[in-house]
Amino acid sequence: MKTFLTAAIVLGLGLPSAARAEGVKIGIINSMTGPEAPIGESLTNGIKLAQDDLAKKNIKVELIWEDDTGKPQVAMSAIEKLATRDNVAGVVGPYTSASANAVAKQAQRYKVPLLVPVAAKEDITRQGYEWVFRLNAPANVYAQVLLDAVTQLGKPKTMALIYENTDFGTSTANTAKEYADKKGIKVVADESYSKGSPDYRSTLTKVKALSPDLVFMVSYVADAILLMRQAREMGLKPQAFLGGGAGFTTAQFASEKDISNQVLTSTQWTDDVPWPGAKDFATRYKAKFNKEPPYHAACAYAAMMIMAEVASKQGGDREKVRSALASGSWNGIMGDVKFESYEGYANQNRHPMLVQQIQDGKYVTVFPDKFAGGKKASYPFPGWK
Amino acid sequence: MIVFLQSVLSGVLIGGVYALVGIGLTIIFGVMRVINFAHGELVMIGMYLTWIIFTGLAIDPFVSILISIPAMFAVGALIQKTLINRVLGALPENQILLTVGLGLVLSNLVMLFFTSDYRILTTSYSSSTLRLAGLSVSTPLAISFAITSAITALLYWFLLKTDTGQGIRATAQDRDAAQLMGINVKRMSLLAFGIGAALAGTAGALISPTYYIFPQVGGVFTLKAFVIVVLGGMGSVLGATLGGVIIGVTESLAAVYISAGMKELFVYVLFLIVLLFRPAGLLGRSRV
Repeated sequence: MKTFLTAAIVLGLGLPSAARAEGVKIGIINSMTGPEAPIGESLTNGIKLAQDDLAKKNIKVELIWEDDTGKPQVAMSAIEKLATRDNVAGVVGPYTSASANAVAKQAQRYKVPLLVPVAAKEDITRQGYEWVFRLNAPANVYAQVLLDAVTQLGKPKTMALIYENTDFGTSTANTAKEYADKKGIKVVADESYSKGSPDYRSTLTKVKALSPDLVFMVSYVADAILLMRQAREMGLKPQAFLGGGAGFTTAQFASEKDISNQVLTSTQWTDDVPWPGAKDFATRYKAKFNKEPPYHAACAYAAMMIMAEVASKQGGDREKVRSALASGSWNGIMGDVKFESYEGYANQNRHPMLVQQIQDGKYVTVFPDKFAGGKKASYPFPGWK
Repeated sequence: MIVFLQSVLSGVLIGGVYALVGIGLTIIFGVMRVINFAHGELVMIGMYLTWIIFTGLAIDPFVSILISIPAMFAVGALIQKTLINRVLGALPENQILLTVGLGLVLSNLVMLFFTSDYRILTTSYSSSTLRLAGLSVSTPLAISFAITSAITALLYWFLLKTDTGQGIRATAQDRDAAQLMGINVKRMSLLAFGIGAALAGTAGALISPTYYIFPQVGGVFTLKAFVIVVLGGMGSVLGATLGGVIIGVTESLAAVYISAGMKELFVYVLFLIVLLFRPAGLLGRSRV
């Protein structure tokens, strides 16, 4: 009991005050508990790996962690606390689109540099906020890169959309619709669902009856597996199953070989991409956490590195951090990073997304060609085993 | 036509599981006049129990109900004995507070021990199907429907034919009169809650091979069970069976012909319409 108490005091009180003495404060908002926690954990791991590397580089930062439990209103109170009470130099996070969108407004209001690592909703960087930066590619690219890949692979004519009715799902699906129009692909089904329903069979039945060439799904973790399982049950057989990131890019999904084989997904990062340090990051991530690194971890890592380097160089001055972020450029595991204003976006990194295909339980980068390193996608979908 | 039949079939299969949850709730209500708002959490406990048995002992989810039924019965009886029994004569709002609180405690306890990670049971037949005249039927769902039907039939036999079953029904009809006739109503209450919890746990076990498991999953089922019970008539076992299937089919048809995101809307509109014309539910007897 005594040792436990001592340990608790050391952990609870000793360390933070020791750390407080040195380094610039940076806030982290992430979904560490709640329904988004499984992916939130990847962000946490990426940031932890960044912490190790920052220590190696002798960049001293103090991280203040806030858990938004996946809820925008909690995320909003977290940024208020970070901005006013903790006086952080900048904030990295939050994970989900809904939270990030809510927090962006507050970051602008409190004049805190916010670097969004992986939230996809376009609006986040489309509201002219000069304090909000985004590392990852926004939702429209998820759909575009996938459709670019399949139109190169074959000649699909029709597409069915199945997506979760959340910020991420609807915005990705909407851009998919627009881009499909441009590519001459007809959207024959547009099905949104509310997550957590045990039965998607009826939706899938309807989709099957329309026999689309492509089935595009946008879902988080568990629903992705459920949807594919039930698609198999229903015998849905398009030319290709497309997954818009999130639930389709997790190791858990890939490991369900019966249902995941040949699914094409868009992703922000893969471990076989020729960006500096990507491979090394993957190796170290696997060694440390004993898991495959998802793109969420890589985005969080890169965002953390950039924010920490900038903030400590600028001595924690928020205005200076903001202008340094806006004018600087970096090169790392996410490739070239530069925050630009274009096509209505402000401070948005033009991140090129990748398409990967699950081949026998493994993710393989297959598109664009310059990042695929000669690996080819198999197309069309051969049917269920 | 195939689409219509397929969606009706999916609805009936999933409705069977809903019915099981609803029957548990309605028995508890019938005997004790207590609405168990922790009912969904009992389903959730059943799911975790199945998950533990499956990953720890490698016992098939459908076989595991042989363990989880008695275990959940014990959990239910314990809850009745220690908590519900004390508020039987209390104001309805106190009873509601107790069961809502119990639900919160259960889901947060599970979150504490198992974290909020989603768990998925992958069995060899998780995504396999049976073909039936051009329709595809999910194997696990078909098995669970067969088990549900068997359990429901067994339950009807128990309630209609056995002395104890009749005792439970008598208590549900009129607690005081039953007591005057020499029925041990305390024991019946204990049995009713135990059976209710066991049914909820069984539903959890049956649905877990096709669904996913997380601590907050209970809320979905509490609400569904409540709607099913009110729709079918509070306290009516037949009503709950019917209500479950109706809700399952409505959800399924609404998802196919209107929109999956709006299926809940149709369930509640139907619910309101039924209550408008039959305030006591489909098979409920008005107490006025």
